[in-house]
Amino acid sequence: MKYLKDLLRPFSQHKYLLYQLTQREIKARYKQSIVGYAWVLLNPLAQMAIYVFVFSVIFRFPTNNIPYPVYLFAALLPWTTLQVSINTATQSLVDNASLLKKVAFPREIIPYSVILAKLVDFCFSLIVFAFLLLFFRVSLASTAILFLPLFILQILLSTGISLLLTAFNLFFRDIQYLANLLLMMWMYLTPVVYPMSLVPAKYVNFYKLNPMVGIVEGYRSALFGNPFEWSIIAWSTFCSIFIFLLGFLVFKKLEKYFADIV
Amino acid sequence: MPMPVIKFTNVSKDFYLQEDKTFKELIPSLILGKAWAKKLRVFSDLNFAITKGETVAIVGKNGAGKSTIMKLIAGVTYPTKGKILVKEKVAPLIELGAGFHHELTGYENIFLNAAILGMHKKEIELILEDIIEFSELGDFINIPIKRYSTGMMMRLAFSIAIHSIAPILLIDEVLAVGDAAFAKKCLQRMQEFKKDKKKTIIFVSHSQKDVEFLCERAILLQEGKITIDSTPKKVFAKYQQDENI
Repeated sequence: MKYLKDLLRPFSQHKYLLYQLTQREIKARYKQSIVGYAWVLLNPLAQMAIYVFVFSVIFRFPTNNIPYPVYLFAALLPWTTLQVSINTATQSLVDNASLLKKVAFPREIIPYSVILAKLVDFCFSLIVFAFLLLFFRVSLASTAILFLPLFILQILLSTGISLLLTAFNLFFRDIQYLANLLLMMWMYLTPVVYPMSLVPAKYVNFYKLNPMVGIVEGYRSALFGNPFEWSIIAWSTFCSIFIFLLGFLVFKKLEKYFADIV
Repeated sequence: MPMPVIKFTNVSKDFYLQEDKTFKELIPSLILGKAWAKKLRVFSDLNFAITKGETVAIVGKNGAGKSTIMKLIAGVTYPTKGKILVKEKVAPLIELGAGFHHELTGYENIFLNAAILGMHKKEIELILEDIIEFSELGDFINIPIKRYSTGMMMRLAFSIAIHSIAPILLIDEVLAVGDAAFAKKCLQRMQEFKKDKKKTIIFVSHSQKDVEFLCERAILLQEGKITIDSTPKKVFAKYQQDENI
């Protein structure tokens, strides 16, 4: 019961602080750039251009008759959100060191605000996806709504990882570099730019231990009406909830020492 | 005997000094079984109580643990041993830059900073006018604070802290930054707080003049202990004698 209260405190008692910090994250980032918030759209477009060139012109992947850019974006957009969330959240406590030393509030509000800001970015980047769907005349399956619960799993997973990494990063700054590297490796071990059907059969069971496999495959199944592979989604659900709770508990245990070691 | 709002009972505080924050240091020390951080005792068995409406100065050399006391009161760090009781909400004066964002305007920063101090939107709107007026920023309030001078930022930070609804105010040697006239205005405002006994102020300063103007009580920290807890005059006399200033 006490833990449940702790879990919800940033969203009840401290919701205005969470709102302000999120707003700061969004507003401040693009204030001194010319195109401003449009970077949220330009970034995925530029990434897509590269991947489309490499993977649909040079290599050719079987994508079940779905145009490769659409197929790619269905996974690349949420993946980018995961990646930038974890990356920025990992640095967030170090970046706000001076706040940690002065004012008391639940510390998880700092990484949460970063993650929320990235979720707002994600919503805007969906505009690009909508245009792609129109352009390629792809209509979404009726199961598309299932994207949402899968996305929530992804948020839980990335929040759990962020909480662990940002806390450890206060103790050892190596974590932020390590995070970068691991995220890149993780992406290639997840069917983001290629379909899972290309993974050799002898590795596939091992491959599916990665909780993002179930989530990313689930996105495509939901959006394009392919059959769901429930066993790996169940595994992803378990991992996401477990990692979130673990991250939260470890973070709360370490929180007391933040101001002393930062 | 009035009830204390802040009470330290046998408080000790150790710090663990980590020399460098990379794995290069951690891994050898794990293998060799050495401690990867050094222990440093800031103070031991500290006892004092502050009652509501008091204005207390904490005096001592650099490194004596004044800021650590502030952090303990603010609740950002915890005692290694002993108990700390803080009964009311605390508003620390946040150092320059910490609670602000340089790309945001002064106006936007008021909301951000006040939210960090634990206020809600409605509470902030009530004091918004007063904050802007007290800060003397005028039209500058609508431009990004990266264009502000250090003094202007200080005025804004101070103005927010002083208007916050928290009954305990922590002021950590910051008046030195603003110009003399504004520093005086702040001291006067804090003097006014004393009259209605609503705010408890903890004040860290090296300036004997400011301390004597504002505080009726001062605590001297030397080598991890309180050596004197008395009027500012007596405290500074002992301080100057001991440290040969």
